[in-house]
Amino acid sequence: MLVSQDWLAQYTDLPDREQMTDRLTMSGLNFEGQQLVGDDCQIDLEVTSNRSDCLGHIGVAREISVLFDCGLRVPEIELKETGAPVNQACQVVIESADLCYRFTARLIRGVRVGPSPDWLVQRLATVGVESVNNIVDVSNYVMLECGQPLHTFDCDRLQDGQIVVRGPRDGETLQAINHTTYRLESGMCVIADGQRAVGLGGVMGGADTEVTDQTRNILVEAAWFNPLAIRNTARRLNLHSPASFRFERTIDPERIDWASRRCCQLIQQVAGGELAAGLIDVGRQPEPREQIRFRHARIGRVLGIGIPASESRRILGQLGFIITDSDEDGLTVQPPSWRRDVTREIDLVEEVGRIHGYHHVPDDVPVRMAATVRSHADRVVERIRHCLSASGLDEAMTASLVPEKWSQTFSPWTDSPPLQSSQPMLGVLERASHNTGPVQWLRRSVVPSLLEVFRINDHKQNQDINLFEMARVYLPEGDQLPREPQVLAIVCEYPFEQLKGIIESLLGYVAPRARLDTRHCDLELLDLTRSAGLLVDGQPFGWMGKVADPAREAFSIRREPCVAEVDVQRLVDLAVATVTHEEVSPYPAITREFNFVVNESVRWMDLATTVRENGGPCVESVSYRETFRDPQRDGPDMKRVLLAVVLRSSSQTLTREQAEQASTAIVTSCRESHGARLLG
Amino acid sequence: MPCSVQQHPDMSSDTGTRLQPFLEELDQLVTQARAAFSAAASDEQLEAARVEYLGARQGRFKTVQKQLGGIAPGDKKTAGQRLNQVKQQIHQALEEARAARAGQVVRQRDPQFDCSLPGTPRRIGRLHPITRTIDELKDIMGRLGFTPADGPEVEDPWHNFEALNIPLIHPARDPLDNFYLSVAGKQAGLESGLLLRSQTSTVQIRVMENTPPPVRIISLGRVYRPDTADATHYPMFHQMEGLLVDREVTLADLKTVLQLFATNYLGENVPIRIRPSFFPFTEPSVEADYFWNDRWVEFGGAGMVDPNVLEAVGYDPESVSGFAFGLGVERLCMIRHGITDIRYLFTNDVRFLRQF
Repeated sequence: MLVSQDWLAQYTDLPDREQMTDRLTMSGLNFEGQQLVGDDCQIDLEVTSNRSDCLGHIGVAREISVLFDCGLRVPEIELKETGAPVNQACQVVIESADLCYRFTARLIRGVRVGPSPDWLVQRLATVGVESVNNIVDVSNYVMLECGQPLHTFDCDRLQDGQIVVRGPRDGETLQAINHTTYRLESGMCVIADGQRAVGLGGVMGGADTEVTDQTRNILVEAAWFNPLAIRNTARRLNLHSPASFRFERTIDPERIDWASRRCCQLIQQVAGGELAAGLIDVGRQPEPREQIRFRHARIGRVLGIGIPASESRRILGQLGFIITDSDEDGLTVQPPSWRRDVTREIDLVEEVGRIHGYHHVPDDVPVRMAATVRSHADRVVERIRHCLSASGLDEAMTASLVPEKWSQTFSPWTDSPPLQSSQPMLGVLERASHNTGPVQWLRRSVVPSLLEVFRINDHKQNQDINLFEMARVYLPEGDQLPREPQVLAIVCEYPFEQLKGIIESLLGYVAPRARLDTRHCDLELLDLTRSAGLLVDGQPFGWMGKVADPAREAFSIRREPCVAEVDVQRLVDLAVATVTHEEVSPYPAITREFNFVVNESVRWMDLATTVRENGGPCVESVSYRETFRDPQRDGPDMKRVLLAVVLRSSSQTLTREQAEQASTAIVTSCRESHGARLLG
Repeated sequence: MPCSVQQHPDMSSDTGTRLQPFLEELDQLVTQARAAFSAAASDEQLEAARVEYLGARQGRFKTVQKQLGGIAPGDKKTAGQRLNQVKQQIHQALEEARAARAGQVVRQRDPQFDCSLPGTPRRIGRLHPITRTIDELKDIMGRLGFTPADGPEVEDPWHNFEALNIPLIHPARDPLDNFYLSVAGKQAGLESGLLLRSQTSTVQIRVMENTPPPVRIISLGRVYRPDTADATHYPMFHQMEGLLVDREVTLADLKTVLQLFATNYLGENVPIRIRPSFFPFTEPSVEADYFWNDRWVEFGGAGMVDPNVLEAVGYDPESVSGFAFGLGVERLCMIRHGITDIRYLFTNDVRFLRQF
């Protein structure tokens, strides 16, 4: 809200400007800047959406008058209604009472439209409003004075002297005074005459009935429109005016007539004319404001400071609250018509507090102590992050919405179609080289987003593109809230084995007792020959693999990344919060290597399990060494798997015989379970 | 006055070598031998020094040793002991000097070794600056007694609006200002209900619905508003929301907690101020600013929890009160690290990520 310093000075005795803007900032009208305009000063104040009373100079002046206790002068209006009654010339009907609550009109006959006097031009110029003619300028002036928008019609151009406030007819259009033609849609408030639309109520008037140099008779409209309807209309037409701005925030319904009278008074002053007797006033009258009880004790309870009762009384009184009752404990007040935002005791506490000043509120009171806990999940997630960063992965963060194409690429967690948002995220993929389409779908996997990040880095010739992200995916559940499991997604230049090693290390670090297993995976995104479904303790955990060539092409990726995505909740569930110490054996270990020839179909996991389960209690570890193939000696579809077993007893130094016994058991069980033949 | 003369030990003999000069000479001998041995720059010099001090016939130790015979018999024991001690000390100094020389011979530099060559790299990945900021915020607020709470990002209108005192007619619910979602065939919009949360205050409601007071939480997470991405806006960002509801909580508690937070996060002597503002879910509502580089910088909205919100979750506004505040994580992160464009945070160029 731009205000003029000189204009404000009409209504109150202004203090020093800097002092004034400081106090206004600290009482709710944030000072945003100022500039000199001629001899006057334009001051920019931020008005929050609840304070429509400060969308006029009188409202701002009232704040200053209360802050500095310096009195407020609101102009008195006296009108001479000497002309023939207004209702002889004009009738108003409200057909859409849900769009327009109240409509008033006054008529001035025989005005001389022309340039405005200097004082009026200057007032408007200070706040950045251009002068049009004396009639339009007055209506703008009064709006900027008291916050009530007004509209002036050329009365002779209204067909049959009729005004009908209604919804739009099929296909109806209006050429507004900005000379743009708008298509009117249901829900918009049309001001029509006997035949056609002549204005968009509360937003903008029509070009056909606007005041011109030829205009002689003026109809002054002051009305009260449904704020929501005005906002929707302004939004749908992208037509925002100073009037719609004020109607959206609700005007003072009890001061509509004051604004109308003020407008007529000033029109007569600058353009002459004779005011018709009476007023057209249709629609509903505002309901009387309810009384509010204010307990002095609430000040301390809410603000933590004491404010004398006399000060509360002064503040509320000067703000326009009528004090209808008063006793030792508090006051009963009726809020002024311009403060529709004040309806409860807590609102009065705020009024008193903000004028008294929050700088009185201490910032060093003793705050109660409280023990806090970090959740198990929080700790596990932190451990996961540290483990991944130690593995050389950088953390990425990407948007939760993705283009449809990406969403279709990879959805390993659900078959339900993704949730679609009503509007796309704009500007988030501006740097994508290929046309991705609107970013409008809630992602069901983080992997496609990371592939885009990989592409960006790939195309910038960045090295070591190894990234992870921990974020939620959104899995639809009908019309219920979706499930939002947190996943860990990885994209990296490491080969499959190294990525698998990272996942194994992660599991070993976070959930050492959990057992990782794999199964075949035929997700289209992944290379069938280098991919795996991951299981932990037999339950699904995630997927990993090398990105298949078609997918790499789709994402314009030149390098050959591997990706993985796993369920963080599984890690949280299996994580060991507090480790229990186990005694380590003080005795020496014996390592035995086994070179088994087995069929290609024998999986390492199964072989290792057999070794572990049959080698006896002294098997400390089973580790993979290498695989070797020699079809000429071993036959087709056979492989040699070299593994090492560390044996150690917790109660004694192992004897050679005991080690031999364990070896024999391992060899026998591997032969029986997997047809394994031991190479000498 | 009669004078009783007490004999000094040195005066015990006027013909033989006196004890005191003998001992002094021994001391000097040790000091000089040590200096000579360690000054020797080569094996030859060390050997020459050895002969000078420990030579069997002409050595200086030998020379001093010869004087032992002239010491008075009463002092001989002391002198003898000291002589042996000195002999050991000189021999030890010689051994040390020899050992030092021997070490130097073996310690030759390798002309091919370049200690400035890089080590075998062990790349440590970096955590995202937003994660680091969030960790720090959690840490500070944890010390102030606030426990993290979590809630869904897809919300229903009750938790995102109604319970927060934002009625259907409120502009904040405008379809253009929110990401409404289409659900199970229903078109996205006000009717279908679900939307991406526009603030983390939703978590407040969920916690208060399920927990009797006192409540003392922070909620941290992603929120969504349909701004077009530019240097200072992104349609997705992170918020930290704090909530304290208890008996007799006042605006002074809020201001104190915000000041403690500012001191912790921004440093000592960073003053804050609160000034009136407007949010539907707080009354009074305030904007908090901190003083930074000679100007006031907004750092978040706050206020006393609106009685309507307390009632919506079944609390009695006459017996409990509370405050809430919300801070933008990106803004705190960007100011802290001097990041000039919010989009850098979500583009994930590794050269950017690796700076943190």
